[in-house]
Amino acid sequence: MHADLLLAAWTLAKILAISVPLIIAVAMYSYWERKVIGWMHVRMGPNKIGPWGLLQAFADVFKLLFKEIVVPANADKPLFYLAPVLAVAPAFAAWAVIPFDQGVVLANLNVGLLYLLAMTSMGVYGIILAGWASNSRYALLGAMRSAAQVVSYEIAMGMALVCVLVLAGSLNLTDIVNAQAGGKGLLDWFWLPLLPVFVIYFVAGVAETNRAPFDVAEGESEIVAGFHVEYSGSAFAVFFLAEYANMILISFLASVMFLGGWLSPFPASWGLIGQGSWIWLFAKAFAFAFMYLWFRATFPRYRYDQIMRLGWKVFIPITIVWVLVAGCMKYFGWITAGA
Amino acid sequence: MTFQLLCFYAFAAVTTLAALGVITLRNSVHAVLCLVLTFFSTAAIWLLAEAEFLAVALVVVYVGAVMVLFLFVVMMLDIKQEPLREGFIRYLPVGIAVAAVMLAEMLALIGVRAMAQVPAPANPAGDSNIAWLGETLFTRFLLPFEIAALILTVGIIAAVALTLRRREGVRHQDPARQVAVDPRTRVRVVKMAAERGQEPAA
Amino acid sequence: MLAEYWPVLLFLLVATGIGVALLIAGSLLGPKRPDAEKLSPYECGFEAFEDARMKFDVRYYLIAILFIIFDLEIAFLFPWAVVFTKIGLIALIEMALFLALLVVGFVYIWKKGALEWE
Repeated sequence: MHADLLLAAWTLAKILAISVPLIIAVAMYSYWERKVIGWMHVRMGPNKIGPWGLLQAFADVFKLLFKEIVVPANADKPLFYLAPVLAVAPAFAAWAVIPFDQGVVLANLNVGLLYLLAMTSMGVYGIILAGWASNSRYALLGAMRSAAQVVSYEIAMGMALVCVLVLAGSLNLTDIVNAQAGGKGLLDWFWLPLLPVFVIYFVAGVAETNRAPFDVAEGESEIVAGFHVEYSGSAFAVFFLAEYANMILISFLASVMFLGGWLSPFPASWGLIGQGSWIWLFAKAFAFAFMYLWFRATFPRYRYDQIMRLGWKVFIPITIVWVLVAGCMKYFGWITAGA
Repeated sequence: MTFQLLCFYAFAAVTTLAALGVITLRNSVHAVLCLVLTFFSTAAIWLLAEAEFLAVALVVVYVGAVMVLFLFVVMMLDIKQEPLREGFIRYLPVGIAVAAVMLAEMLALIGVRAMAQVPAPANPAGDSNIAWLGETLFTRFLLPFEIAALILTVGIIAAVALTLRRREGVRHQDPARQVAVDPRTRVRVVKMAAERGQEPAA
Repeated sequence: MLAEYWPVLLFLLVATGIGVALLIAGSLLGPKRPDAEKLSPYECGFEAFEDARMKFDVRYYLIAILFIIFDLEIAFLFPWAVVFTKIGLIALIEMALFLALLVVGFVYIWKKGALEWE
């Protein structure tokens, strides 16, 4: 019994070792976003609070915490509070299966990939409930748009996961990374045989997190803020946390599944820089996270019909075909999964 | 193992309570959310029975997909709360009859399974049961699997045939036509001599 | 096997706790000064009238139904992807057949125009 308690405490410590840095990463990511987009617009971005404005995000958090949570009079009160919790819980819980390095993973599930799909598919509840519970037109419109969009892109995302799975032969994320190991560095990774799927996965990830240019759910210029228009104070902060945690999650997943996770891009024979390390994983994830911001500063928002057309008529057919292509690659040994 | 048992009881209790909530709550959106909770805790129970693939698949398919549709429908159909209670007594006999038939069927199924003595398949070497499930599904139960594909296809077609109504007179863009536009059919360049008219009034 | 899932359960609880804690902190620290205008739903320049919950285009339901079907197909693809090399070529053909049936349905909805948003 004593040992069990100790184990539980140790597990809790590990969970906090993931969650707390994640929360800080979200704060710094939102600062970085404003800074990067500022530079792309030839502006300064936040630069007043702390050195180079580094403490801006923390100031924002404290401001939000001290603001009133306004609950609209005819809102469904319990659901209004439940929605942000339902949005943030899967966004964090999904991190349980991310392998940061060889053997450094909280829960090495056999069905890790499917677990991730389950967690991402649960994120839609927060959005729908927020829209419905607020009982506001804009919120409801945003929620419906967002829900239909998220589920549409989830199909493409699921199919992309299947392609990875076909090549790796395992649902375990550590196994998936190890299947990308070989002598040739970045040429062994799955982005090469699965190039179209790799692109689709990341773009679908951007759509899945409702980020620009797929952000019709928020559509500031038309439906003001979409599903969370009625949320203020810390309730809004929770949605914000969920959205950014999901963005970082997608960045890590794309790195783990297509860019070899912690593996080094250089051949193993190159000595120290040829060795795998968590630093590689973080560098890759950082690159994807940067792409999110780059997209936002570059592309104008898509129209809703364009989004749906891209999801259903381009992404889904390509991924269906590529599942079979990947099957043939694997079966006829055109590519060999490494170690 | 006691902790595992404790978990089972906890999840079973949540499942039962949530299922009760589904049929007693007056607000239909709350009822649907209770159903979501029911599925979720059922998945946890399956997990305790070491059916990990099925448990997570239950969450993906039912919680992630089927219940989203339910929520869509219940939210947007705008069901008023009061009239729901009206026919309660009148429909009670039918409801009980349906419930009784379902119970009998379930018991019969369990009885048949118990008598048929299907040998419990050994899970090979502590491997994940997804591999075992896949192997059985794609060898022994191949025909049902392909029939499932057929049923799903019928489902697609039925859904479209039942719900799709094309509205008349709606303008929409056809990107193929937009891209195929040839400037020569749109713009006419007219060559004409410069006109010599009156001087503009100063 | 179950040992791997306890951390997941714990993480779900912690993640829920983070959300709840933030909400509680916000409602404790923030002021509470409600008034009728503040509590009315957001509108652009006029009084909000009637219930915001309304009927939606049937297309949204169609998307949800199609999503269920495709999600099921994906659920079938997962175990296949794990074992098809063990079973051999026959598994590849089986899945090609399965996907071909799916594509028949997909072509149908495409041709019917169910994927058009007007």
